[in-house]
Amino acid sequence: MSDFTELTTDPIDITSVARRVVPSECGATVTLDGYARRFTKDKQTGETRETDYLVYEAYEPMAVREMQKLVEQAKAEFEISNVGIVHRLGKLEIGETSVVISVSAPHRRAAFTACEWLIKELKRTVPIWKKEVYADGEVWVEGESALKP
Amino acid sequence: MKVNVLFFGVTADIIGVRELELTAEEPTTAGSIINQLSRQHPALANHKLLIAINEEYADANTVLNDGDELALFTAVSGG
Repeated sequence: MSDFTELTTDPIDITSVARRVVPSECGATVTLDGYARRFTKDKQTGETRETDYLVYEAYEPMAVREMQKLVEQAKAEFEISNVGIVHRLGKLEIGETSVVISVSAPHRRAAFTACEWLIKELKRTVPIWKKEVYADGEVWVEGESALKP
Repeated sequence: MKVNVLFFGVTADIIGVRELELTAEEPTTAGSIINQLSRQHPALANHKLLIAINEEYADANTVLNDGDELALFTAVSGG
């Protein structure tokens, strides 16, 4: 049983990701299923936009390295056993899974905390970009949080 | 010296390619490459750019070496 960080253009099987992180000392796995949202409220204008589909792209070798760093940091900081992260790339229809993060731990609390920390850091540091495509245009989403190297 | 420059998402759309090989005088920083590209592609200056050198985050003052891979991109938006 080991950690893993992967990029794929195929649909992600959430259950298999969740099961791959389970060693015998664990009592709980927390799995985040992030998926493509149809309606997005613009935080500045308050207007709601309807998305047709999403396109993700990555600086692939660096994205895998950054995900591996997050796994190492999470394992150093939280009482968890294994972490699996799989991020989808390419075109995603609404409702399809874009990212799965599974964290196994002897006890659930550490797994919840680590999973929340991992998705927050992934969205801040891992070089992956999302394009939202609407009926009348498209935009590459630029992340909110400034990176402090 | 030669530097391989990679673009993604917004920056790839602005530059029109995903990869460029640039020849630069030594010493050259990542910031001076960005300035050079911004003169040719003014839209680049409308975005806050992040910099990676050889797959590690770096800042604009970092001096580049021959053969480095410099990636320029906007704030990430995965997840």
